[in-house]
Amino acid sequence: MRTEAIDPPGVQWLRVSPKYVTVRLVEWAIGNVLMLAVLSLPLIFVLLGWWRWPPLWLAITVPAVMLVLALWRLVLIPRQVRAIGYAERNDDLLIRRGIFFQRTMVVPYGRMQYVDVAVGPVERGLGLCTLKLHTASAGTNAHLPGLPAEEGARLREQLSARGEARLAGL
Amino acid sequence: MSPADSAAVSLPDKPEATVENDWKRVHPASPFVRGWVALAAVGFFFGRDAFERMLQGRDFLDPNLNGRVPWLLAGGAVVLLLTVGGFILSWYFTRYQVAGGYVRVNTGFLFKQQRQARLDRVQAIDIVQPLLARIFGLAELKFEVADAGESAVRLAYLPLDQAKQLRATILARAAGVVIESGTTEEIPEAPEHVVLSVPPARLIGSLLLSEQTIGILIGAAVVIATSVIFENNAIFLALIPGILGIGAAYWSSFNKGYNFTAAISPDGIRLRYGLLDTQAQTVPPGRIQALMVTQPPIWRIFGWYRMHVNVAGYGVSASSEGAARTMLLPVGLKSDVMRMMSLVLPDPGIEDPERVFTAGLDGLAPAGPESAPNDGFITTPRRARLLAPLGRRRNGFFATRTALLIRSGRWWHTLVLVPHQRTQSMALHQGPLARRFGVADLVLHTTAGPVSPRVFQAGVEQAVELFDQQAARAREARKRQTSEQWLAQVAPQAPEVAAAARPKDGSLPEEPAPLERPEQPQTSPQQEDRHDG
Repeated sequence: MRTEAIDPPGVQWLRVSPKYVTVRLVEWAIGNVLMLAVLSLPLIFVLLGWWRWPPLWLAITVPAVMLVLALWRLVLIPRQVRAIGYAERNDDLLIRRGIFFQRTMVVPYGRMQYVDVAVGPVERGLGLCTLKLHTASAGTNAHLPGLPAEEGARLREQLSARGEARLAGL
Repeated sequence: MSPADSAAVSLPDKPEATVENDWKRVHPASPFVRGWVALAAVGFFFGRDAFERMLQGRDFLDPNLNGRVPWLLAGGAVVLLLTVGGFILSWYFTRYQVAGGYVRVNTGFLFKQQRQARLDRVQAIDIVQPLLARIFGLAELKFEVADAGESAVRLAYLPLDQAKQLRATILARAAGVVIESGTTEEIPEAPEHVVLSVPPARLIGSLLLSEQTIGILIGAAVVIATSVIFENNAIFLALIPGILGIGAAYWSSFNKGYNFTAAISPDGIRLRYGLLDTQAQTVPPGRIQALMVTQPPIWRIFGWYRMHVNVAGYGVSASSEGAARTMLLPVGLKSDVMRMMSLVLPDPGIEDPERVFTAGLDGLAPAGPESAPNDGFITTPRRARLLAPLGRRRNGFFATRTALLIRSGRWWHTLVLVPHQRTQSMALHQGPLARRFGVADLVLHTTAGPVSPRVFQAGVEQAVELFDQQAARAREARKRQTSEQWLAQVAPQAPEVAAAARPKDGSLPEEPAPLERPEQPQTSPQQEDRHDG
């Protein structure tokens, strides 16, 4: 993937596992299929003649718009997953994400208070995990999803060790 | 009286074996001061009946009472005994100790809790005196560590001078002053030098001209307009609770801001304020994570500013008490702001701090096309003038050797200052529109508090450069900060640089005398270096 304008120059991004797309697909399906089903109920009722309101065009438009949005998000998922990247530098960890709304974050090792590894049910099935970094700031929303389990464990150990070596106070 | 009152207040370092002897209790009256609401409720419950009778002109006592007297009395006695007994037990089982680099507090008799906090992790110490405690000459000591939650240690209540003594002890230990074991000599309170105070007239003026007032005026106009249109006066009755609420809010701001005094001592910045409830905060050197100066549009007529800070232990709190704690200056002139800045950032890391800070407070980039910024602040590029037509000339940042200054707000002037070694992490944000205009936002993450530093709409090249440089600068600054104990921290630079930094403080505007420096050596010669961390 090409380097975006806001990425610091000369950074070699490591990508997360492509299998993470599956996790996102499951999340997408749970969220959107349910939502779509609920929003389609009025259409069904109107078609069956049980309901007089809403008018047919409205009953069609709402789920249709939702469907388009959902499909749009579905199409974006692989690209979004490919846009997640991280890079270990000497003193800090870089994390980037997003295609439209991009974010590049730097977390100094010395600032890490603790490192979490979380595994959800779908992730466990695929052998993935999510790494979360916590600093003293609640604004540091640094999580790295879709890491292979052994890479997650390696990163956690490495980050903890580096954090300890460079630990600074607040 | 309890042993807590008679014992010497200084806490000599003793070997671990005799540590048990150092446990002290809070003042015996404290549960009553704290739990007066419960006592008042008991009193209210039993007094109400008799009171209502008196109002109705009947006998003071219920004529049918005779049969019930024993039961009532017994019930009342039981409730009272339980309450007082609970108070006494809670007092008896609450003990504290300052020893071996920790402050420990034991509470509870059914569910025991022992809490200990490292002294060198202290973020701030507050001495709070609610009105009732003040009448009894008592004070509550709050010890904050960086968990952004409730206070790590609350000692309620101690006699005021004992609380002050304990604060001095804790701060001295936290600073790294070594106390030889066996000495019973009291640690003197660090001398302080009053830097500024807010006159009540200015406080009232600032409250009357605050954003709140504008909102109220708009609301009142809307209400009057609706009542005229609908020819209905009942709406005014519905407003009474609102008016009471507004009055309470003003009163609370006035009560909290009254007699606001800032002072500097070797232990850090001291803030004292309050009309009925008084509070004295001490924020040790280098504990301020971020600082924000704001100026609402109307305040510009009088040249007033207000300042807020992020301190790790204070966190964010919606309550007025919490909001008051993060207030560094409720209202002040530019000279006051400069003085507070010099306390928070003793080494501004630039040659002419006053000019730069002034540019940060009120500066605007020249309107012309792509002319070089004259005040050092790097502002939003001209190509983004459609995206930020108002803020373009105001949004900007300036990095000194020790801190990053971020200014924003064309009407609501805002200046944010983040010392380099306090930066936690950073992120560059860019949305599709910002990409179209070639700008990006840089967000600095700091501990929870009212200040959230963000560089708005900087040009992409400058933003990326700042992102990179800032990471490096924060790294360098952290290396210099080697210890949590501010006396033990190594000096940041070569001595000549530090020496050069001294006169700079003195050159800040309108200082009545050389600031606090001449007074420091009285406490301890080591403390000269306190500003350098």
